[in-house]
Amino acid sequence: MLASIVPIRRFHLGKWFLRVFVFLVYAIMLCPLVFVIWLSFFKDSILYFPPSGYTLSWYKNAWDNQSFVNGFIFSLQLAIVSALIGVSIGVVAALGLIRYRFRGAKYVNTLLLSPLLMPGIVAGIAIYLFYLRTENFLDRDIVGTLGGLVLAHICLTIPWTVRLVSASMHGLDPSIEEAARNLGANGRVAFWRITLPMLRPAIVAAALFSFIVSFENLEVSLSLVGPGSTTLPIAIMQYLEFNLDPTIAAVSSVQILLLGIIMLVTDRFVKLSQVV
Amino acid sequence: MSAVSRGDARQARLGACLAFPSSLVVFCIIMVPIVLMFRYSFNFHDPVHIMREGFTFENYVKFFSDSYYRGVFFDTLKVAATCTLLALLFGFPVAYFLAKTQSRHKSLLIILLVFPLMVGNVVRAAGWMVVLGNAGAVNALLVWLGVIAQPIKLLYTPLAVVIGTTAVVLPFMILTLQSVLEGIDFAVEEAAQNLGANMFTTFWRVVLPIAAPGVAAGTMLVFILCMNAYATPVLLGGSGITMMAPSLYGQIAKASNWTFGSSMALILVIATMLIALSANWLIHRRYVRTMAS
Amino acid sequence: MANVSLIHLKKQFGQSVAVSDFSLEIADGELVSFLGPSGCGKTTTLRMIAGFIDPTAGRILIGGTDVTALPVHQRNTGMVFQRYALFPHMTVAQNVSFGLEMRKVSAHERDRRIELALDMVRMTEYKDRYPRQLSGGQQQRVAIARALAIEPKVFLLDEPLSNLDAKLRLEVREEIRALQQRLGLTTIFVTHDQEEALAISDRMAIMHDGKVQQVGRPDVLYEQPENFFVAEFLGKMNFFAGTCVGPGQFKTTDGLLLNVDAVTQSTKRVGVRPERVELVAVATSGNNIPVTVQSSAYLGSFVDVVLAGPNQQRLSCQVPNTATVSPADAFTTGRGLVMNFKASDCVVFNEEGDA
Repeated sequence: MLASIVPIRRFHLGKWFLRVFVFLVYAIMLCPLVFVIWLSFFKDSILYFPPSGYTLSWYKNAWDNQSFVNGFIFSLQLAIVSALIGVSIGVVAALGLIRYRFRGAKYVNTLLLSPLLMPGIVAGIAIYLFYLRTENFLDRDIVGTLGGLVLAHICLTIPWTVRLVSASMHGLDPSIEEAARNLGANGRVAFWRITLPMLRPAIVAAALFSFIVSFENLEVSLSLVGPGSTTLPIAIMQYLEFNLDPTIAAVSSVQILLLGIIMLVTDRFVKLSQVV
Repeated sequence: MSAVSRGDARQARLGACLAFPSSLVVFCIIMVPIVLMFRYSFNFHDPVHIMREGFTFENYVKFFSDSYYRGVFFDTLKVAATCTLLALLFGFPVAYFLAKTQSRHKSLLIILLVFPLMVGNVVRAAGWMVVLGNAGAVNALLVWLGVIAQPIKLLYTPLAVVIGTTAVVLPFMILTLQSVLEGIDFAVEEAAQNLGANMFTTFWRVVLPIAAPGVAAGTMLVFILCMNAYATPVLLGGSGITMMAPSLYGQIAKASNWTFGSSMALILVIATMLIALSANWLIHRRYVRTMAS
Repeated sequence: MANVSLIHLKKQFGQSVAVSDFSLEIADGELVSFLGPSGCGKTTTLRMIAGFIDPTAGRILIGGTDVTALPVHQRNTGMVFQRYALFPHMTVAQNVSFGLEMRKVSAHERDRRIELALDMVRMTEYKDRYPRQLSGGQQQRVAIARALAIEPKVFLLDEPLSNLDAKLRLEVREEIRALQQRLGLTTIFVTHDQEEALAISDRMAIMHDGKVQQVGRPDVLYEQPENFFVAEFLGKMNFFAGTCVGPGQFKTTDGLLLNVDAVTQSTKRVGVRPERVELVAVATSGNNIPVTVQSSAYLGSFVDVVLAGPNQQRLSCQVPNTATVSPADAFTTGRGLVMNFKASDCVVFNEEGDA
């Protein structure tokens, strides 16, 4: 018998081709963000490649711009309030649907998830028209108010909350709560001390994800903002319709940074790839 | 009533109460307005009072008889179909790679995929403007390489919209396909190879048919997203191409033609649903034997 | 059908060696089992033969041809997977047809061979059903038919019975053996269940930690284990540690003197199978060890009695169920008995644990 055998190697050409392809596709998906961030540091005020130098002054420029700062703060407020309210009533609804099953729960589930299927622009317009009609009826402003926007954004946060929390609840091992009850905990104690804590990651993720969804939303907010109360994405968009320069790139980069960080935090709680 | 069923009834009541606040909000803020809009689409347009109550199909007739609006609709359809197809072609290999990879970088790759979805379409469109503009990266590169002398018009064309929209929906497509492919028992592919199928045949005869329903669902989702796109067509298409969502928004917000805009909205939603559902049904008919669910 | 030669097969994953220096000749028509605990390398070896894993070193010959560099789909080894791996989107008949289509068999001939294959496993009436409509046992039979229809050179089975319930396992195992013998298929059967391996193999290869411990006929492996691992893995063994004190004489560490035919100078341990031991009231000819009953388990066809030796070492005995006295009465805890066995029934092991 041969004492030493040469190990066999196979060269997989196809595998390398696939890797290059994957790299290119990722490049396509990510390059816009890379370029925006890169642009925000360009020295010249007019877009030109290659840049003559780099500077941080555009960020200061953006910071001094009232409309951007206001937009940022407004978006922040809107997102926080919408996320908090949406997650609160959304988690409760998910509990009601899955734990305390009732007749018609399936239809309610569809209703609560339905906003995800609507084109944002259509929903925004429909809500706008509805608000106008209600304004006449109630004799007070709704369009352009924070409250009006919050109500609309809650409809964005509820579906994601219900989805996330439902998925988590379905993934729970029922025998854990049963073990708690077997050891002497009554139904309510078992729920509050055992089951609910197990849902915590999903609830936190729902809150963070809802924040992101509300903050970056354009289409629904578009019809519902007013003078003095506009969101950051809308402010960016309106600027971009006329002008493309490092200032707007700086503002956009801030949004990218903020939402990117929150996304990373959310990923700690729930695997985002399963959600989306 | 026995104690047990009374308890059940109480449970059910509690459940309904818990779900009530959310349901109320969604119903009032989404369902009712949509129905209202539906109703408006059948009203008469009045230049002075914006709307006159009544019941007419004139808005719908106007849409389909005007060649401009028919053009808008078909342009939207063409762009959506193109983007969906491109997303499928580019996305499938990536999804396959992610499903099969054992690399410890896998979760990083997934995060990189989800990341663009989180930052908002406006910012992504801005990025494409930087890339495709006359002073943008692509033109700068081509001029520097000497391929062209003058910048070519890439921005504010249908091409830009296709590129931008495809880039926007690619992550959705990849994530959906990846989870479908991961769900396939790898041993089935090994069995096919063992029986004599090379990699290509295994893919074509075994992997693809099993993945088909999932692929259909992902494609449907992406198609709907493309049809409804707003920010990307506005920023990247400009006057070079008009699509349904920007057009109908303009009718309502700028032209104050609520009735016509409403009808456009309904046409968009219903047409999208019909096309997506029938494509889904077709694929299911062909591959329905695959899975029980 | 063909013979199989495994030549110094080795597989290393990073730092860990999954299979080290596995050499074996499998004759045409032979059924060889790879038996061992999880992680011993048996499945890895099987998958190297099938081509799913490239060996780090070594060669594989099928019918005299070196297939080591051949891709999976060109090796012509029919494999049956643990979880069946039937194509969910194809009917039973289409599943069986697949391999034949890959070989460009004509439609007419395909139909004939599908009929034949399904008939062999008695699944003909299910040929238009889908896998999800079949039970586990039925799916497994279809998987077997699918692998056999292509008339492979080697038949590979990767723990095919472990997902079936106990009764079904016996049935399918017998069917596999009957088929294999009837068709003269060279077969490699991977399992962790020793009863399965013992029941159907022409020869067995016991593996542990990537190394082959012993290869041979089932009865040879059982009666003449070459080392500790094999002795303990196949069935149970009562061990006595000690030293050789003369020809045929072995003194245990507790001071008992045993007559052992096979003892040599290097013997450090003597073993005897529980079924070769008798429990008697008084000492008779042969070796006698005073023991106390610890517990007994009535297992239907025999009683498994756990005993404590003179120094509290754990011993066991299997008493066949022919007694007229109820085992509960016969083996009450604490009862003193004598363990008796012949000098010729002992197996010896040296320092390293080799026989």
